[in-house]
Amino acid sequence: MSEQQKMLSDMVDSLFAELGSSAAVIDAWDRIEELGLPSLLVAEVQGGFGGSWDDARVVFRLAGYHALSLPVVEAVIANLIASPHGAEGRGTIASASEGRFADGHFTGVVKGAVASEGASFIVAPSLDGGALVLRTADGLRQARETLSGEARDVWMFDGAPAKHSKVDLFRLGAFARVAQISGALDGALSLSVDYVNERKQFGRPLAKFQAVQQNLATFAGEAAAANCAAVGAAQGLGRGAGGFEVASAKLRANRAAGTGAAIAHQVHGAIGFTNEYCLHRLTRKLWTWRSEFGGDSFWSAYLGKQVLERGADLFWADLTARTD
Amino acid sequence: MPSAKLGLVRAGRNSAIDRSFTLQTFIAHPIPWPDNAAALRAKVRELIAGHPAPADPAYRANSWCVPDPTFSRKLGAAGLIGMIWPKAYGGHERSSLERYVVLEELLAAGAPVGAHWMADRQHGGMLLRYGTEEERQRWIPGMARGEIYSCIGLSEPNAGSDLASVRTTARRRGDRWVIDGQKVWTTGAHFAHVMIALVRSEEGSERGVGLSQFVIPMDAPGVTIKPIIDLTGGHDFNEVFFDSVELPETALVGEEGQGWRQATAELSLERSGPERYLSSTSLLLELIRHVGPNASAEVCSLIGRLTADLWTLRMMSASVAARLAAGQDPALEATIVKDLGNSFEQAMPTLVQAAIDLDMADPAPIARILNHLLQVSPSFSLRGGTSEILKGIIARGLGLR
Repeated sequence: MSEQQKMLSDMVDSLFAELGSSAAVIDAWDRIEELGLPSLLVAEVQGGFGGSWDDARVVFRLAGYHALSLPVVEAVIANLIASPHGAEGRGTIASASEGRFADGHFTGVVKGAVASEGASFIVAPSLDGGALVLRTADGLRQARETLSGEARDVWMFDGAPAKHSKVDLFRLGAFARVAQISGALDGALSLSVDYVNERKQFGRPLAKFQAVQQNLATFAGEAAAANCAAVGAAQGLGRGAGGFEVASAKLRANRAAGTGAAIAHQVHGAIGFTNEYCLHRLTRKLWTWRSEFGGDSFWSAYLGKQVLERGADLFWADLTARTD
Repeated sequence: MPSAKLGLVRAGRNSAIDRSFTLQTFIAHPIPWPDNAAALRAKVRELIAGHPAPADPAYRANSWCVPDPTFSRKLGAAGLIGMIWPKAYGGHERSSLERYVVLEELLAAGAPVGAHWMADRQHGGMLLRYGTEEERQRWIPGMARGEIYSCIGLSEPNAGSDLASVRTTARRRGDRWVIDGQKVWTTGAHFAHVMIALVRSEEGSERGVGLSQFVIPMDAPGVTIKPIIDLTGGHDFNEVFFDSVELPETALVGEEGQGWRQATAELSLERSGPERYLSSTSLLLELIRHVGPNASAEVCSLIGRLTADLWTLRMMSASVAARLAAGQDPALEATIVKDLGNSFEQAMPTLVQAAIDLDMADPAPIARILNHLLQVSPSFSLRGGTSEILKGIIARGLGLR
């Protein structure tokens, strides 16, 4: 980690730890803006931070780790895509769009818009693999929530002016979720380790039971895999299109999310199942992120097809050429 | 700013995690792949392509357990063994990551590297670090040429996972050491020239105290090797008996009584390499070949998932290699990689078997390789440290033990 990245990481870690999983946009968004975080990936010449994909990974990971309730991750990606098009104010992203884009206008539906109430603009994946930038002032919002209370709104647009970007938002969204999963897993692991060291049954801490130890070791391996996958996906995006790397990383992180969340709940016992205890703030996000921007069936088909088209003889050569 | 910057104080319930530093289980090291990686790969691929393959394709699923001295000598002549050792001992003074590139190429292709594997992986380096000059001169140049092979003298009948229970003894007799006892599960003892053994050199000592390591020539009088045939009918393992085997003083490796520390460092090397996740690669490749570009959605999806796992494990494994290369000791990370890698290579045969219809007696490569891996894969989570032992080490790293 470079000095600059370390400073970014420390600063963001403190802020996200303080804001946590209950800060509301209306109260706390200024704090995010003060640090200039939304323009993390915007080029320096455009007044941004000029951050790398790995800088983004670090910030997204910490957002996951602290179960941050504010849509910082979404704003960072939205600004990367929309700032060249002059978008201003708080932006967010959506996970799907259906409809027709022609002559600079969009008619259709945008789904899965994250925390879009009060946002100025939304960036949504377009059907051609790019993205559309839409002003919220031109659309109608229908509020929707996931079961875990995360705002994922539907927006309707009728001939709304829209800017098209070639940036593959869906891929970037998947990358963001991988990084968040990696952080949330480390967060849940940290809670679990603390809990089993404190909680006593049969006269000793749960941590001293071998069955508990082995479960948490499995969890640590999964968290490690998700973290490495996130690093690899950031590197892939830095080197080129990153499609293969992001696909691989999302698949791996999705699996880690399932195993990790299950073990976290298992070792916590009943307390982890309560609304009062904080574990669910992480695990319910993990379960949601697993589906967003491509679940297992989407990315495994994407990756499998790519591998089969290239054939067995090129498999290893292709894999190594991605890093050489 | 959080009020508590140190310690594990919980400040409130706003943040899910109010621990004031963030836990990170695995620090993924940026991997400085060598600039000449592509050229090195081309060299290895050419060497493999030019070497006649054994008739049975199953050997490709057994890469680092298949001894082929002719191939080892070719690698030695090409400067691909002992790559990181000093030139004075026949090495090539290349970087650890250059060596890593060569290793992963050999393993991914399923090349028969079993003869020299242990010498290149751990014993050459151990002798360089701890061995006496006489022993270094005697063994290392031949190891680098791919002519001298070594075996690991750790496990004993009553010291498997509980390695600190070793009972083979070394006793001083004049200016000689005398070894008595037995090792077991010794891979390659029947073709190795030398063993580096962990033995109890202090009478009456217990556990990790009083252990030392010795270089034992396999042709020394008093060494007897008996084969152990595995469930496939294959012969990798042996029992090795020592009956008053006399060694010169120079055979002591490192410091007397420091064997436990040296051996655990050796295990770190033994556990960290790419051979801990690549054992089943040939099956994935054969599956891709077997089903072709128009595979069913189910098989396509399986190939996608296996590819994702393999890609992730490669990142993890190379990350550990990069930290080793930077002079760090990523023992915990290496343990995690071995455990995950073993799970992956062990699960693959079952997943592939479930995804395609196969005649188990078909001589086609896919069936031969699958059959072989179904039978040998139980050993993947046993050799070099069982998954239970590995998870125990990880748990200790988490602060649970």
